[in-house]
Amino acid sequence: MSERRQASLLALPAMAVFVLFSVVPLLSVARYATWRWSGTSEPVGVGAANLMRLLRDDALWQSLGTTVTFALIAMPTFLALSLVIALAIEGLRVERFVKALLFAPGLVTVGGSAIAWYLLYNPDFGVLVELTGWRLPWTTQPAAALAYVIAFTLWQQTGYGVLMVSAALKGVPREVKEAARIDGAHEREVRRFIVVPLLRPTLAFLTIVGTVLALQSYTAVYLLTRGGPFGSTRVLGYYVYETAFERFELGYGAALTLFALLVTLIVAVLQARVLVERSARGARA
Amino acid sequence: MIVMRLITVLACVFVALPLVWLVYAAFIPAEALIAANIATFGVTLENFAALGDTGLWRAMGVSVLASGLAVTGQLAFGLGAAYAIRNGARLLGLVLLLMAIPSELLLVPLYRQLQTLSLIDTLGALIVPFLASPLVVFLLLQALRRVPWELIEAARLDGAGEGVIVARVVAPVLRPELVAAAVLAFAAHWNLVLYPRVMTTESLWTVQVFLTDLLRTRPFEWGLLGAAALVASAPILVLYVVFEKRIIATFEAGFRS
Repeated sequence: MSERRQASLLALPAMAVFVLFSVVPLLSVARYATWRWSGTSEPVGVGAANLMRLLRDDALWQSLGTTVTFALIAMPTFLALSLVIALAIEGLRVERFVKALLFAPGLVTVGGSAIAWYLLYNPDFGVLVELTGWRLPWTTQPAAALAYVIAFTLWQQTGYGVLMVSAALKGVPREVKEAARIDGAHEREVRRFIVVPLLRPTLAFLTIVGTVLALQSYTAVYLLTRGGPFGSTRVLGYYVYETAFERFELGYGAALTLFALLVTLIVAVLQARVLVERSARGARA
Repeated sequence: MIVMRLITVLACVFVALPLVWLVYAAFIPAEALIAANIATFGVTLENFAALGDTGLWRAMGVSVLASGLAVTGQLAFGLGAAYAIRNGARLLGLVLLLMAIPSELLLVPLYRQLQTLSLIDTLGALIVPFLASPLVVFLLLQALRRVPWELIEAARLDGAGEGVIVARVVAPVLRPELVAAAVLAFAAHWNLVLYPRVMTTESLWTVQVFLTDLLRTRPFEWGLLGAAALVASAPILVLYVVFEKRIIATFEAGFRS
């Protein structure tokens, strides 16, 4: 037996797991989407009924809108904060401390983070309202609730973005900056025209990370708001969960999963396109 | 620049507040809360002692066992898969595809699959589907690409089989990357929320499910909640502190390529 074939055998255990728990589920979603099924009952075939229901499900379109709004607010803020903070602390004595502090939320387990926010910002008996009387409206006002979930996500992730940008900053050659300064560029111009353009690949990478975060925000939603109030924070992933495992409509949940997978695919393709085009333009410039 | 520094300071305060309060709440005496006087100073461990009756320790046991076994599998199987791909097996496309799909998006079809395999509400549900991770395969493959191939050729000339080479030659060389991947994978599994909530019932609750339930059933007990959150975070905290340098180095190296 050739070495290559022998080596290929070593991939078998991992591939078995991938096939059983990713590939088969992925390929079966479409079939499950034709079922009426509560999870415990025997599935009943209902043809395309679930797929037709997708088209006239107002909650689905609201949910898609919420997801897009979430992404359009969270991602640019995530990028801007990562960039601004990394630039602001570059070379300062506090750099290490700030990075460690901003990364710290990642060390608190997600359920624990939800508890921390609850203790602080709960409008009925949180610390904020006890100390200052300031009642945050995130349990009653839709916009505030979405802002709250976005703030929580940024709280968890910004440190990671800052670490990435900061690592890239270390890779900007000192000579390039020096040369610009000798040519009479102000610090602000050095940043604007030399440093930031060189960070483009990192920012592109963080854009992808940011999009994934938006698509995966369902955990934060589950922990903080359970989709409420009035469905205002019910992002797509959470709607799938809620339909399948709170309302026990797994057949329709499968149809929603199909829809969510389609959205993920479209976003991934669009993103790959934009990134390729951009880097091609950057290379020409 | 002033505006940028101001933003940085505000961000630091915003990030620090919940953390500071969490630690503070975990150590304040219950009387301070009954008197509604949260400025009372004093440190106590009674909140941690009170965790004994809540079932936290059982949940910690389930989580440690499940995350530990899952990560062990991810490293062993991941190393095998990465080595096979490095040797020409055409599986990278599949790995990249699976990396793009968040696993919790597949809750519905996974539920059916676990039902078929009689894994629902078993410890296996928390472990078996997580015995391999596309991200770990990817990280280890990146690391393997930096290993000088003469090392493996030499072992082959000595007559070593491929399995032996992976275990005795490749694994020791990749130790730093294996450690880093293990910490990341452990944290990812430890932090699963919806998956264990859906696939198991109370006797197999993981730490995350336990915490969300505690928040629902005892929302007024700040001290207890804070203490539970700290205990639940301890394993991740310890792993990160011990292996900090390796994790960051591996992350940056994987990200460069």
